[in-house]
Order: sequence, then C-alpha cells, then structure tokens
Amino acid sequence: MRRRRASRHRRAWRRKTLLGLLVAVGFALSGAAGAVAYFLPAITTAIRDTGHTIQRGAATPAASASALPGEAAAAAPDPSVGSQPFTVLLLGSDNDAKFSGSEVLTQSMILTRVDPRTRHVVMLSIPRDLYVPLSSGGSDKIDKAYLHGGANAAVATVERNFHVHIDHYAWIGLLGLVNLIDKIGGVDVVATNPVLDDFYPADLSGQNPYAFQRVAVLPGPQHMNGIEALEYVRSRHGDLRSDFGRSQRQQQVLLAIRTKAKLLGLADLPDVASAMSNDFSTDMSISQVAALLPLAGTITLQNVQQVLLLPPDVSSAFVGSQDVLMPNWDLILAEVRKHFPVA
Amino acid sequence: MRRLLAVVVLLALMGAFAFGVNRFLASRRSHIPSESTISAPTETRTAVTLPGTMFISQHGDIYALAGGYFSDLRLARSGTWMQPSVIPGSDAILAVLRTDAFSDVYMIDAGGGAVHKLSHNATPGKVIQLNHWMFWPRVGADAQTVYMSYDSPKTQESYQIDFAVWQGTLAGKLAVHQVTDPFGYTGGDVDAVPLAGGGILYSKYQISSGQVYSRLAVQKDALAEPVYLTTATDDCGQPALSPDGASLAMVCTGGTGLQSTRLEVASLSGTTLGKPRTLINNCLCAAPAWAPDGSGLAYYAPADAGGHFQLWWIAGAAGATPHAAQEVTSNLDLDALSPPAWSPLLVTPHGPR
Repeated sequence: MRRRRASRHRRAWRRKTLLGLLVAVGFALSGAAGAVAYFLPAITTAIRDTGHTIQRGAATPAASASALPGEAAAAAPDPSVGSQPFTVLLLGSDNDAKFSGSEVLTQSMILTRVDPRTRHVVMLSIPRDLYVPLSSGGSDKIDKAYLHGGANAAVATVERNFHVHIDHYAWIGLLGLVNLIDKIGGVDVVATNPVLDDFYPADLSGQNPYAFQRVAVLPGPQHMNGIEALEYVRSRHGDLRSDFGRSQRQQQVLLAIRTKAKLLGLADLPDVASAMSNDFSTDMSISQVAALLPLAGTITLQNVQQVLLLPPDVSSAFVGSQDVLMPNWDLILAEVRKHFPVA
Repeated sequence: MRRLLAVVVLLALMGAFAFGVNRFLASRRSHIPSESTISAPTETRTAVTLPGTMFISQHGDIYALAGGYFSDLRLARSGTWMQPSVIPGSDAILAVLRTDAFSDVYMIDAGGGAVHKLSHNATPGKVIQLNHWMFWPRVGADAQTVYMSYDSPKTQESYQIDFAVWQGTLAGKLAVHQVTDPFGYTGGDVDAVPLAGGGILYSKYQISSGQVYSRLAVQKDALAEPVYLTTATDDCGQPALSPDGASLAMVCTGGTGLQSTRLEVASLSGTTLGKPRTLINNCLCAAPAWAPDGSGLAYYAPADAGGHFQLWWIAGAAGATPHAAQEVTSNLDLDALSPPAWSPLLVTPHGPR
C-alpha cells in the first residue's frame, strides 16, 4: 500500500517536472520566436546580402599563369573582424534605372585599412577614371571592373594593381546609401564649398533616367538627409577637381556615417538591414558586421587618415573615346606601401 | 476542462512573452534624434531671453524669436523659406524661397505678413540650366543697397557655375552689378556682409594643390582685387561683423579633418584683422550672428552627437572674458545654412500674441 502510494507520488512528481520543463521550453521557444521576428529583416538581409565569398580565381582568369600580387593575395590569411588589422574595399555604385541588375559601374572605390588595436584607419580613394589592366582582361577605367565581374573582379583588379591584399568588400547602391542615412537620422557634415551642378543626374525620381537636375549644396556645417548627402558626394561637374573633389566629399560623408554608427547597437540591425535591402552586399558575415559597430565607436576622427590620389600620382589622358587618368605607379605604390601591407 | 483552460492560458502567456521579448528588443534601439523628436519652434520656449527679434529658419518656415517665444511668419509654402536678413530700421526682412531648380529673394513685412517678390530667377523655358540661384541677401546700412550671391548669367552648355556677389537695390533690380570675380569651378563667393564705409566682406572659395578652402576677403570696388583677412590654412568663412564693426566672428575648419569647426572672434580695423581668439574649438559651430546691441554672439551647433542644430549664445563674446556658451533652444532642427537675422526692434508677427 505504502509502496504503491510512493510510486504514485514519484510518477506525479515526474509528470510535474516534465510539465514544468515543457512550460519552460515553451516560454524559451516563444521568447526565441519573438527575437527571431524582431531580427527577421536582419536575418533575411544576412542570408541574401552578406557572407558572399570573394571568388578571386573566378574573376581573374589572366592571373592564373603569372606571379601577380592577386595570386599572393588569394593565399594570404583572412582575418576576421577581430583584433587583427584588416583591409576593406568600399564600393559605391550608380545602380539607377540606366543600369540593369548588377551591371553597374563603381563611382566610388575606397580602400580602407582598419587596425582595431591601434584604432587607426586609413582611407585611400581610388579615382574611378584610373586606367588599369582589369582582372577580367584588357585595360579600361577601374570603375568598369565591377561591371565586368562584380565585386570579385573589383577586388581582384585593385589587389593586382595596387599590390595589396583585400580581406573584405562592402558594396552599396545609391538608394541604399540614401536609406541608410535617413534611417540613422541624417548626418552632420561640414560642406567644404558651394557644390553647384547644373547637370546632376535626375535618375532617382522621374521617368527619364538620363534627365538632369540642378543641385546647390551650400557650404558650411549642416545636417543632411539621405538625398542631400547623396547630392553632396555624387556631384562633380562644378568642381575644379572633378572626381578628386568628389572622392574627398565621399570620405567626409563616410566619416559622418561612422559618427552616427557609434550610436547604433545590435537592436538597430533590423532597421538598418531593411533600409539597405537590395542595395548592399558584402562578403562579411552578419556577426562581423555587428562586430564593426562597437569598433566604429572607438575610433576617433584624429585616427582616421584620408588619402587621395592627386596629380602627379595620376595624369589626364585620352584613350579611345574617353577621358581617363593614367597612373604613375611608382608614386602610387610608394603611397600605398606607406599605409597598406604589401601582398 | 481545467486542463484545457490551463493550456489555453499557458499558450496565451507564451504569446505575450514572445511579444514582450520582441518589444523589449525594440526598446533597446539607440535613441538617435529623428524627425519625431523635433518640435516646432512655436511649441518651445527658449532657455535664455535674447534682446530684439531674431529670425531663424526650420524645415522651410521662418520664425521670429522675441522675448523668449517663437512666432511663425506663416509664409505660403511653394518651396523652402531660408536665409532671412534684416533690413536696417525696418520691420521688413528679406528671405530666400528655394525650389528644386531656382531660388528667389522676397521682401516680407514681418509684422503684417505681406510678401513681395524681388527677383525672377525661374526660366520660362524647359532648359533647367537657365534657371538661377540667389542666396545670402544682405541689405546695406542705407536700407536700399542689396548684396547677394548669384550664379551669374551663363551659357547653357557650360558646366561652370559659381556664385559671385552681385549688387542691386531694393527699389530697383536686385542683381545689377557684379561685385566679385570668383575663382572658376570652386563654388565662388558667398556670405557678403556690407561694410559701413562701403564695400563688402565675404567668403571667397579657392582650390589649390587639390585642396579647397575659404578665405575672408574685403573688397571696396566692383571686380577689384580683394584684400584677404585670413589664410588658406585658416579656412575661415561665415563672417559676422559686430554692430560697431570692431569685432569679426567667423567659422574656421582648418586642420581638423573637415568634420569639425572652430568659432573664432578677432578685432577688425579697416582691412587689418587682429589675432583671432577661439571661443569654441572642435565643434560643428555654424552661422554666427551678433546681438544688435553687441552684448553677445549667437550661433548654431548640435547639442549632441550627430544631432540637429540648436541655437547657442555666448554673452560678452567680443570681450576678453566671454561667458560660457549657453544652449538657447532644444529639440529643434534649425537650418544651419540660414544664419540668424537679428533686428534691434521688437517685431510681433500677426499682432500681439
């Protein structure tokens, strides 16, 4: 009798324990479901836009039989975004209605070296008109590398010509930049001079992507929304320095975005991800992108070195039917070696 | 029945927990100032009561600030109202109405609200390049002579478009004489300040060795060679002359990575600038304006990292021991490209509040 009661008691205790466990698991699962629902835009973006492996070999058929720096680069270790210095190629494209799909040029190429230990950053703007051998074959303006082979070709072309190893790339389109800046509440920028352009492409609105609009960005400190910031970094017709001036302004706005990124946390990722949806891609994983956010907050402006390739590093020339910039590799590589490890 | 009820309650609790986790994560988002946190100036009161009446711009509207309260001038919106400028001895102000392709200068009776268009910069045709920009209108002490930056007549095909300072009159045409000769493809000459003895003080942009910078310049005669007050390294602009003409406030960016500015004040005698004193260093200070009684200096700067521009005030800025800067407004998004226009008169738009 007593044994039966004890056995019943044990069974009841086991059932209660099991029930309690089930309830706990149920709550854990429902909590996880709530978190997954919150991070869903970031997860979707992570699956679609991040973690694209750089395919160096695929985009560099010409490299296979030669001892070019690109080959050495492919064999180099690939540090994650941790304590090791790393190099990122930042790419920006006019992916408006004039272009189809991913067949776009890169209007902006910024080679960036980040040293998490010393909190030092170097940003080197590569002129889009630089006439170089492309990794996909032939020679052309460097902005066409992406057109002929996407990010892989852009990375390989920069690696081979600049003798650097690139660990990661990040590509952003026009609307991605506009939406990102709007999502972080705009950026504060000290406009260097009046940026006036009567032939600014009116390709983000309206029916004709080849139409023009007038742009006047007035000088001085100001708060810019996404469209205003885009006008500031994209305009070039009224600037004596043409693409050089634009490169400088692009670096400025990148630094302004960095200032705002300092305020972001992990919980902001879904908003940022949905803002840049379809207009952003990178080989970095979402965890590496997330690791960059606190890093951005620890780097001061004084530790960011901006480098532009100006004459005599480059000189104007006319090749075929287009204006190009011919590189003076002796000067350029000497400058590159100061800031980037040789591959 | 009791079990079923328990299961239903548990499921409801789990659903609520999932929702709670979701909302908790949402609450952990950073509190970046956004449009939703911006107040209309008329909904706020300033922390400091400033003398006279100040005209400022926010989100395309112009407001008068007097006695610590803002009043909306309630101007009809067909563009962005900006850059108000006082007409000496008058209730009226000048302001710019900017649209996508052109901007015009208007005279506004700040007390009664009547608006008169003074320029006609829209082209009647469809060639957008033939439109014109006009910014920073300033009226001289005679309350008649007007200076402004204007993208001078240009050919349709040219990429070159630079601001030059032009001169005209309130009663006649605005852009009659070109006063300054800008460096090509730099953006040109802006921020003209009429000088009591004739001529103007302005910011002249220049590009040299791949670097762009602004120098403050004084020019007495039309198209004459200017006398420079600051160097390329200083990279100073946005000049504001004190009511007695003896102190010059300016915003300089030199050597700070192009992402911060210095607010400086120096004595000015003729074309001789004294040694500048830095009032605020490493800031995003913009658009200084002297109080009409010379008691201090107002300027714009964000109150927090990456935030929107607020109005700040430094009492005794012209003296040897200026007071600490005080934040005058909060939660506003003032247009940093529209320097405060400050009248000694007490102007009350639409009659008494």
